[in-house]
Amino acid sequence: MTASTAERPAALAGGRARPAPDRRPARRMTRHRAVMLLFIAPALLVYTVMVIAPSIQSIQLSLTDWDGINPAYEYVGLANYRDILTSDRFWNATRNTLVLGLGSAVIVNAVALGVALMLDKLHHAQGFFRTIVYLPALVSGFIAATIWKYMLNFNFGAVNTVLRDLGFEGAAMDWLGDNEIVVGVLLFIICFTLGGNTTLIYLANLQSVPQDLVEAARIDGASRGQVFRYVTWPMLAGAVTVNMTLMMIAGWTIFDQVMVLTAGGPGFVSETMAFFIYKVGFGEYRAGYGSAAAIVLFIVVLATTVLANRYMRSREVQA
Amino acid sequence: MTRSPQARPELRKERRRLTAGEVAVMAVLAVLVLAVSFPVLYALLNSFRSYAEITKDPMGLPTGLGLDNYVRLFQTTDYGEALLNTLVITGGTLVLLLAIVPMAAWGIERLGGRSSRWIYLLFIAGLMIPFQVRMIPLVSSMNQVGLYSTLTSVILVHLGGAASFGILLYCSFIKGVPREVEEAAEVDGAGRLRTFWSIVFPMLLPVTSAFVIIQALSLWNDFFIPLVFLDASSAGTINVALSRMVGLLTSQWELIYTGAILAIVPSVVLFAAFQRYFIKGMSIGAVKG
Repeated sequence: MTASTAERPAALAGGRARPAPDRRPARRMTRHRAVMLLFIAPALLVYTVMVIAPSIQSIQLSLTDWDGINPAYEYVGLANYRDILTSDRFWNATRNTLVLGLGSAVIVNAVALGVALMLDKLHHAQGFFRTIVYLPALVSGFIAATIWKYMLNFNFGAVNTVLRDLGFEGAAMDWLGDNEIVVGVLLFIICFTLGGNTTLIYLANLQSVPQDLVEAARIDGASRGQVFRYVTWPMLAGAVTVNMTLMMIAGWTIFDQVMVLTAGGPGFVSETMAFFIYKVGFGEYRAGYGSAAAIVLFIVVLATTVLANRYMRSREVQA
Repeated sequence: MTRSPQARPELRKERRRLTAGEVAVMAVLAVLVLAVSFPVLYALLNSFRSYAEITKDPMGLPTGLGLDNYVRLFQTTDYGEALLNTLVITGGTLVLLLAIVPMAAWGIERLGGRSSRWIYLLFIAGLMIPFQVRMIPLVSSMNQVGLYSTLTSVILVHLGGAASFGILLYCSFIKGVPREVEEAAEVDGAGRLRTFWSIVFPMLLPVTSAFVIIQALSLWNDFFIPLVFLDASSAGTINVALSRMVGLLTSQWELIYTGAILAIVPSVVLFAAFQRYFIKGMSIGAVKG
């Protein structure tokens, strides 16, 4: 609020300059800015202490051999990063994260788009069907995984019981204890949904496709498939990119289902990156090593977001 | 984004008769919903059966609708306390979020200039920081200040995590709010804080309802943050309590199914009560997010 800064706020106010021969309006703007900063302060404080500061501290810890308990630790340079990048266990977790994150993004988007297309075809009771299609999305991933854990129990689970009753004794498996299939089973459970929000976004976009375009194409003799391929699909491009990006970013941090269903097992077979960080950081008392893995995860998420955003922009320009 | 039905005039014309194709689509959708809901229906049915019944005949139907499991869940486990903890965490975080986030977003939008842009970007950067990145330092800090394994620590961590999304949602909405109203109020002599809460905040209702619904659901369903910040000295949240019951060697299946069903009930009630806001809010939130 000193005289030297008095002119600046007026300039910053952009095109809203008023005739201000004396310095009173300028001072008023400065006071306005101070009040606005006070409005921002509580949220900024909480956010800085809870998000920014610990994230930066993670970078520091990733360069140490800290165990997470003992106050003393030593700096080990980039040793943790070297260990992570040469660890088979970490690469296995990365591969699982890709399979589960990217795989579920593709499958759930395909299912959601299919469901949205069906809903869009309805002219009767569309609201009712939209509601019941959304209902399964109210069940959290954690709760669904908990129920599945028991349904997949080898001896008393619903799945094996049905298989045995139908006479497929050989098809009854130890679904969550078999190295070969456990990641596939996790993927199935994560994808066992009708899309929820994803479906709603597709439906909203489908309903904004201009009907005269569709009719014009039909009159020109386009088949249903051609209308979808050349009219509807290009109009959905933005929604597809948004949904895929959202699901991929969420996919990098898949944790709940792994924790509940397999706890990373058998052995380390079904670990994901998020689970790996949790396990080494808290379960194995290697907080420094876990922090380094967390920084690697951050870099991956950052790269995904930036690339997806750039891709999205380029598509928007074309559209 | 969402368009009202009136935007498609041809809809009304076609409303006259129900085609075979439509009936087929309805049937397919109904079958899909039933299939996807199967685990929940299975858990619901088994919440009325005893452990012996479940393990003897896993696909059997309940013989009655006795609430024994529901009573025993509260009597023999920490579920009741966990339910209360979850309510406190969800409610407390929501109230505090509403107290600080809309105000901050308004401040950012009305601050103007380069500093406003930087503060906005700082908040948005949080969307790209997974919880795992800040988890380990946060646990040790909470330990140092004596907050570890308290509900306060969970609420604080949630606040930081939800702030970014809130700022994004509110800022994009406030951009469309005209300044004239608040300027008129200021000329009238109302203080800025009063102007905000009595004039601006009510105008933000559409985005507030979307924000509250999205956050309420994700706070209620969260598992990871309370898992990390609440140890055995606390009953945990319902998800944490359930995961502890699952971890027991002598896990009681019937109680776990019962607990899972009870965990879903509040979401369904919330959905039933605010269905219209829900679907609109989800579309706004997801597109903007």
